Amino acid sequence: METLADVTLWQALGVAIFAGIAGIDLFNVLTHIHRPIIAGPIVGLILGDPEKGLIAGATFELMWMGLVPLAGAQPPNVVLGGIIGTAFAIVTGQTAEQAILVAVPFAIFVQICITFLFTAYSPLMSVADRYVKNLNFAGIANLNYLGMTILFVFYSVIAFSVIYFGADAAKQLVTLIPKWITDGLQVAGSLMPAIGFGILLNIMLQRQYIAYYLLGFLLAAYFQQPLLAIALVGLVFALIEYYLRDSAPEKATANNTVVEEEEGI
Amino acid sequence: MTTQQQDMINNDVYEDQQTPQVITPKDIRRMAWRSLFLQASFNYERMQANGWLYTIMPALRKIHKNENDLKKSMGMHLEFFNTHPFLVTFISGLVLAMEEAKERIDTIRAIKVSTMGPGGGIGDAVFWLTLLSICGGVGASFSLNGSWLGPIFFLVLFNLVHFGIRFGLASYGYKMGVSAIKTLKDQTRKLAHAASIVGLTVIGAMTASYVKLDSGLQLVREVKGADEPFVYTLQGSLIDPIMPALLPLLWTMFILWRIKKGSSPLRLVLWTVVFGLFCTVLPVVVKMVFGWDIIDPAVLSTRMGY
Repeated sequence: METLADVTLWQALGVAIFAGIAGIDLFNVLTHIHRPIIAGPIVGLILGDPEKGLIAGATFELMWMGLVPLAGAQPPNVVLGGIIGTAFAIVTGQTAEQAILVAVPFAIFVQICITFLFTAYSPLMSVADRYVKNLNFAGIANLNYLGMTILFVFYSVIAFSVIYFGADAAKQLVTLIPKWITDGLQVAGSLMPAIGFGILLNIMLQRQYIAYYLLGFLLAAYFQQPLLAIALVGLVFALIEYYLRDSAPEKATANNTVVEEEEGI
Repeated sequence: MTTQQQDMINNDVYEDQQTPQVITPKDIRRMAWRSLFLQASFNYERMQANGWLYTIMPALRKIHKNENDLKKSMGMHLEFFNTHPFLVTFISGLVLAMEEAKERIDTIRAIKVSTMGPGGGIGDAVFWLTLLSICGGVGASFSLNGSWLGPIFFLVLFNLVHFGIRFGLASYGYKMGVSAIKTLKDQTRKLAHAASIVGLTVIGAMTASYVKLDSGLQLVREVKGADEPFVYTLQGSLIDPIMPALLPLLWTMFILWRIKKGSSPLRLVLWTVVFGLFCTVLPVVVKMVFGWDIIDPAVLSTRMGY
């Protein structure tokens, strides 16, 4: 562990500012620079190890693929989970699978905080009602800007404190952890993508799509084809269904759409 | 007819019934830019309502020169609203066309409410579950090989679709106006169906590629008279010849079954960690109690601290 690099104040501030921007991006603008696949390499650049950040970010991306805000429900927060996880992987020299031990508690902590934030913002809607009665256009806009400011400050403060004050403590902890624990977390980390896929399958896997799930699985397991090639094979089937089977999909998805409408409203 | 009923009807009708065309393509683009901040004031009482009003407010001010009409309109648009943030511009384009035509307020509200639900459901399936998984999965597979193409591919492809959809739907929604609703509904059904096919093919492939469960189990026996001990590996000799990635598939199905039974993802994360630790402690315990090597002896000895 002699390669450990200390985090400087400027590096911690850099990560904090990026965390603030990423926190806004989770709900607004939505360029998705907040996903671990982008946040990993950026945190890596700030902390001086872009290659490690690239790999760690990609690993977190795969683990947390299904963690998206469906119908307004808050999943564990991928933004700070990814940023803190990558930072710890770099600073302590761990793999991403091991750093998830540090990342998951924060992802859950932030999830709870965001839920709290959305609850706390509700009373401001009566203020908005008053602005409408007075035709206060700037007031409506400012309520929007205030929300983003709160998000920025919240994410920055958490990222800064954890990375600047927590890194040393984490380094000490890491050397104390026995090999069987880190090995065990490695095993658990390799299994984590299954949870993301499970969430997706639970929503998407209706009877008429099981064949396509198996198609993708078999092409990868037996034929070892790259993901992009398999996606394109899937696209071919989608095009066939879309253009050649005009009436069948209507019948097949009729029930599905009704359910969606009911849940949506 | 009572005065109360008369008032209620009048409340639904704009006082100024003139319908000059005031919305220009520039206004529609401005609305699409502002839609990026739809969820800035998200809250559990009205969800995206304030951001929705923020999105269409400049256009509403242009349409309603009568102050009472503007207040009525803004008040209605501050009611509960929630849809997918990528598809919102279709609804706002549609609504602006109706506002410009001075439709009755309750009609505009009905259109708004009936499009936002399906918009949310379709958007979640198409963008969060399909587009994001494909861009993220393909991008990450580049990144894991150390290629910077990973993040670039992800960001470019995702946002090409994102901004294309956002700005495309804004003018599409406005142009189609009320008459588009029925035909579009038929199209989105087919689109969601096609998207699910691509999505599930990719998730199937990722189950095989990214979920890793190597039991590492083996039987090591010293054989009298032989130099090398006898080694039988469960993975290499039994499981892989039947089906590679069989264990990851079974594990994923187990997780899916637990989710269907109502386990929260959070609890599954914790149980996965417990399972991982159990797997690494088990060989240590077996070695200590029975003296058997059920995994690679070299790995076992580092775990036991030798």
